[in-house]
Amino acid sequence: MSSSTAQFLTKARSHITNLSPNPLIVALCLIAGLLVVGEFLSPGFASLPQILRLLVVASILGIVAAGQNLVILGGREGIDLSVGGIVSLSAIIAGNVMSGADIGILPAIIACLAIGGFIGFLNGVGVTFLGIPPLVMTLGMLGVLQGLLVVVRQGIPSGLAAPALSSFVASPLLFGVPGIIWLWLMIGLLMALLLHRTVLGYRIYAIGANENAAKMAGVPVRVVRISLFMMSGMFSAIAGMCILGYSGSSFANVGDQYMLASIIAVVLGGTPLAGGKGGYTGTMTGAVLLVVLQSILTTLNIDEAGRQIAFGGTLLLLMVFYGRGQSLRI
Amino acid sequence: MSKLRLRSVSKRYGATVALEYGDLDLEAGEVHVLMGANGSGKSTLSKIIAGSVRPDSGIIELDGKAISITNPQAAREFGVAIFYQELSLAAHRTVAENICLSQLPSTAGVFLDRQKMIEIAERRIAPFLDVVGDGFSVNTQVGQLRADQRQLVEIMKTFAQDADILIFDEPTSALDRAQVECFLNLLREQKAAGRCIVFISHRRDEIFDIGDRITIIRDGRTVSTKVLSETNIDEVLIAMVGEGEAVAEQQSQSLPQRTEIGEIKLVVEDITNDSLQEVGFQVSAGEILGLGGLHGHGQSAILRTIFGVLDLGTGQIFLDGAAKDLNSPRAAIRNGIAYISGDRRRDGIITDRSILENVVPVYALKKHLIAASPNTLGKKARMALELLQSKYESLAHSIGSMSGGNQQKVVVARWLMDAPDILLLDDPTKGIDMATKKELFNLIRELAAQGMAIILYSSEDAELLENADRILVLNNGKIVRELKGSERTRYNLYHAAYEAA
Repeated sequence: MSSSTAQFLTKARSHITNLSPNPLIVALCLIAGLLVVGEFLSPGFASLPQILRLLVVASILGIVAAGQNLVILGGREGIDLSVGGIVSLSAIIAGNVMSGADIGILPAIIACLAIGGFIGFLNGVGVTFLGIPPLVMTLGMLGVLQGLLVVVRQGIPSGLAAPALSSFVASPLLFGVPGIIWLWLMIGLLMALLLHRTVLGYRIYAIGANENAAKMAGVPVRVVRISLFMMSGMFSAIAGMCILGYSGSSFANVGDQYMLASIIAVVLGGTPLAGGKGGYTGTMTGAVLLVVLQSILTTLNIDEAGRQIAFGGTLLLLMVFYGRGQSLRI
Repeated sequence: MSKLRLRSVSKRYGATVALEYGDLDLEAGEVHVLMGANGSGKSTLSKIIAGSVRPDSGIIELDGKAISITNPQAAREFGVAIFYQELSLAAHRTVAENICLSQLPSTAGVFLDRQKMIEIAERRIAPFLDVVGDGFSVNTQVGQLRADQRQLVEIMKTFAQDADILIFDEPTSALDRAQVECFLNLLREQKAAGRCIVFISHRRDEIFDIGDRITIIRDGRTVSTKVLSETNIDEVLIAMVGEGEAVAEQQSQSLPQRTEIGEIKLVVEDITNDSLQEVGFQVSAGEILGLGGLHGHGQSAILRTIFGVLDLGTGQIFLDGAAKDLNSPRAAIRNGIAYISGDRRRDGIITDRSILENVVPVYALKKHLIAASPNTLGKKARMALELLQSKYESLAHSIGSMSGGNQQKVVVARWLMDAPDILLLDDPTKGIDMATKKELFNLIRELAAQGMAIILYSSEDAELLENADRILVLNNGKIVRELKGSERTRYNLYHAAYEAA
């Protein structure tokens, strides 16, 4: 029986692969479809201001997913489960450093990037030099960060976003589009350049596709992998600051929801968990798709628990069809 | 009547013929030696008997009845046990568990009978007790043992199966003299008990010491079976190399030998590590140095040590007269060394990535590039690919869309975008088509003529004999002979390879 089930799955998988050679287009169609459904359920769902609001939320997720994407591309079971902890920590640090004053923005950016980068560095060193599997290393790091958040919170007020940061995130900056969306597009451009126009980008794909061959061709495998975790930490730190700007002040465990969501966005976008192929354009689409889906679930009055179930289910379903090794190529 | 008879057994892998025609008669109570050059099919033949390779055609008879050995489990039921050259041990389990793995004793068919397992294991260890050395007990994890001790465990495991037919594929390569003696004594006991034993070894003295009969395999065909006491090593080697070829080799003096060899580029001094013993040699600019001998006797290890993949151990490497610490492929590449492996899947191709991405990494490292412009890099990559007459549609295509031969060309092109001083070739034409092989060797000779120092290991004797100016023959990680000029013959190659270690 098990062999016939497996056969069925293989068949179903190949069907899906044949039907959808380009996940980017599939994702875009899905987004459009969901918007129509949303508009039907609750008129005004697909209005321009509402779409911009969705994109602001998607930007924050997308920025976290950029780091997740890089770590996953690097292969060898690469995954960063500590992103949520870094997002929360960064939101608190930024809030306290700027405490409502514009003059504190630059120091806050520097502090958050440094701390995010440092946590990523520790993740990277644990994975490469100590040989700890990424899943375990970053999960342990998440535990440490969550404990640290409790300690930090006891003595310090939660902090306040600087007005300039809040308006950058929420109010229109250019052509009526909020600054954070521009920031996200900029990050998308930089990611594309990094991955396809730099030697580092080639090396990231190389270690993800065949680490041993990459090493034989002179790729500094460990350095590249550590840099991936560092970039992931820094992207999460940026996202944490954006959340602070979005909500005005930081509250407990604001980053928790990003761990699962960032992984789903990456996989939805066509980067297999095995790494070595895929890219950030797909991930950006994946992030938008996920946020629209989330919004529809909210419209349907499905609570947070229900949404988490839907997200987890989506990831498992994707794994069934994409498999761990193979994926739909962009 | 023979215990086991194989009649015209064959095995192909795609276009490659691993065994074309295998005939073998095993008598009860004999040690039957299999001997043949690299890739002649002796391992395939023994794997067919052990059930890990299924023959395409042929008849196998056990005690006069035709049988079909479909898998290792079936072979075990027919009474066949095999010692695998590459060992088949579970590193994290104890010596006792490994020895008893194929038939773990149990109580009530469910629970492991630890007491009995240890008894069985101790009985198998007993004959070797004086020679196993320190740190060996029934409860030691196999992963913590030395290479020779692991090999002994594999031997004990083979004996523990109490099989009527025992196959040993190079069982003594890591053992010392006393251990070998001990093992041969056990074999004699088994022989006296009426078991039949298939024996593959690279040590001539062992073969003539323990063997009763010998079957020689040449190019996938079993060519003759002789009684060992009625023959000698020269006769055996001639049968192995082929009489016509042996005679032709003796007469021919016309093998190309270049004289215009440049200054010394690479000196290797006295390397001893896990796979090598006191290896030392030098290579000059414009020279192709060949590494020969039976498979897996250190040829690849020499190249991988120079390239910084394997630990150097003791010894030194000099480039252009200066001592270098080559502790990683990166360091080796920076010092002008290139390494092309025949194992493309493991060491060569960057799976599923574009041809461009597969060609440029070494160039990017050497030139300290940060930006990667597909246009500029593409131009350089195309030039390197043209040297090899590679066929491809676009540099953006996945390397997976190419044939094996063309994939290997891409890997070679990777190293030629910025020409190295020293080229290490580790069986570079494994599994690629004849036409591509020819092109690659034309290129290699041309590179040597331009002054590159080249070390070539090939599992195909013809490639080695046709292209190398000198050949170092390895046996068990040691250089046993250097063949120069007219000495470079297949006969001499195997004469040296089967030399007493």
